[in-house]
Amino acid sequence: MADEYNTSPQKNFEALWKILDENYCFFDYKGIDWDEVHDKYSLQIDESMYEYKLFQVLSDMVNELKDGHINLNSSFFFSSYEGWYTEYPSNFSWGILNDKYLVDAARGGNYNEIRYTRFAGNQIGYIYYGSFRESMLETELDSIFHFFENCKALVIDVRDNGGGSLINSDRLASRFLTEKTLCGYIQHKTGKGRSDFSDPYPIYLKPSHNTLWLKPVMVLTNRRCYSASNNFVSKMRELPNVRTLGGSTGGGSGFPFTSELPNGWSIRFSTSPILDVNMQHTEFGIEPDVEINLLPQDIENRRDALLEAAMELLLSGV
Amino acid sequence: MNEGTLIGVGTSHVKDTYLSPFNYSGWGLRILNERMKITGLGRDNFSRQQIINVDISSTKNPAENVNDFAAFADYALGYHYRLDVVPGFRVLTGMSAHLSGGFIYNIRNGNNPLSAKIDVDGGFSLITLWNFRMNKLSFTLRYQGELPLAGVFFSPEYGASYYEMFNVGNLSDVLAFNSFHNKFALKNYVTLDIPVESFTIRLGYLNSLYYSDAKSIQTRIISNSFMIGWVKEFIPLGSKRIKYKNRVKSSYY
Repeated sequence: MADEYNTSPQKNFEALWKILDENYCFFDYKGIDWDEVHDKYSLQIDESMYEYKLFQVLSDMVNELKDGHINLNSSFFFSSYEGWYTEYPSNFSWGILNDKYLVDAARGGNYNEIRYTRFAGNQIGYIYYGSFRESMLETELDSIFHFFENCKALVIDVRDNGGGSLINSDRLASRFLTEKTLCGYIQHKTGKGRSDFSDPYPIYLKPSHNTLWLKPVMVLTNRRCYSASNNFVSKMRELPNVRTLGGSTGGGSGFPFTSELPNGWSIRFSTSPILDVNMQHTEFGIEPDVEINLLPQDIENRRDALLEAAMELLLSGV
Repeated sequence: MNEGTLIGVGTSHVKDTYLSPFNYSGWGLRILNERMKITGLGRDNFSRQQIINVDISSTKNPAENVNDFAAFADYALGYHYRLDVVPGFRVLTGMSAHLSGGFIYNIRNGNNPLSAKIDVDGGFSLITLWNFRMNKLSFTLRYQGELPLAGVFFSPEYGASYYEMFNVGNLSDVLAFNSFHNKFALKNYVTLDIPVESFTIRLGYLNSLYYSDAKSIQTRIISNSFMIGWVKEFIPLGSKRIKYKNRVKSSYY
């Protein structure tokens, strides 16, 4: 690839196709014929096209990968594939949760957007963790678990958590186990071939040296749990005393890298598959242990059916 | 002992395909300290040289909308056999060991923002020193070349993330033997010592080339620094040589 700045549509199209050809990790799993995609979209490229049109064609091309980790970014547009959640029930209403359940909730996290409170006469602890871009110090987590000291169970709500840092999600997950536990595997590309992958390497979750929570936990999920949030759910469901409730997560199990085109646009893409304990991909999501949907009548009645169901199950000890 | 400390600025070109397929260009800043002394080996025919070098750079991609920041520190220890070819002209040949480490940081990349570099190697070292007089003043012109032959360097696999290596703990295959099949590095260093009253000023030019191609990751770092500094010539306290002042001779001049 030439090192010069180049705005040629043809050069940028070929550069983008090649970057994904050599680095994207789900061609085989998704059954995508990337050569066929090249042939289909190269017909739409001509040297006289405006950059806005080029951006649209390139966005359409990368969206053939049906991957929420794919983002093409220019100075004027940002493309993202949204099909992983738009065709699914949301199972979440921030308005209902915030107005009805979180009125007195405390705040935490580096952006002060994590909410935590107690329900059912202080029997149920509750944390809303809306993004793993939010990080909490170990001491802050300790104080939250101290706040839940007399609770008999805990709800961790990661609905609409679109991901962030695996370090943040691992820090929280490490509070719910006493022994080092196998939680999945990771692979990476070892070369530019589409099937050049390393052997799966085990991912272990180790217990935190700080306060642990060993009573029942229910993790609330919906389709917009993506990336680090999907990984959090994948790990949590391997832990004792933890169940998941709600809707399927959105997936996004490829660890993303970023590269760039000759015209300066950036491209982010999945490059390292993270597998579950059965060495299966979770790129298309993880089904919950207990499926509960938020129905139109729940919204009409300003009722969070998933949270209510989780509390009911935890209180009944089922 | 001859000690020189120089600071310099210049151009820098950085390409690391772990971060981007493109060459980034910009400026660099360098600080270098070198010490040379005659050892007691071989009737004072051997000298030892130590170089500590720190350089930082800020470079931009071809579209000039993203920056890389790079910082490297390296230490070199060389032993040279000294040969007085003709009066005023001396050649020093020998071997040197290098330890260097640093990183290139791309401000835009989310999960692959950093490419770390650690190299340990040994190789040829050549110095030529030419002392000459002009207008009753003594000048010294030096050329030095450093060419690593073989060593070990940090070399992650093509798509391995730092999360996998350092958080998950998969550190297998992160080191590689290096020689000319996968790495070429060369430093060309030219200095001129100029006496100014009771001081000696050292002007320098350092050209540093580094190429590696391992596990489908290519790195190319080229810098050119123009440097200026000062030189001290002194006898370290406690040296046995201080007892024989008439036998003391400079390692450099």
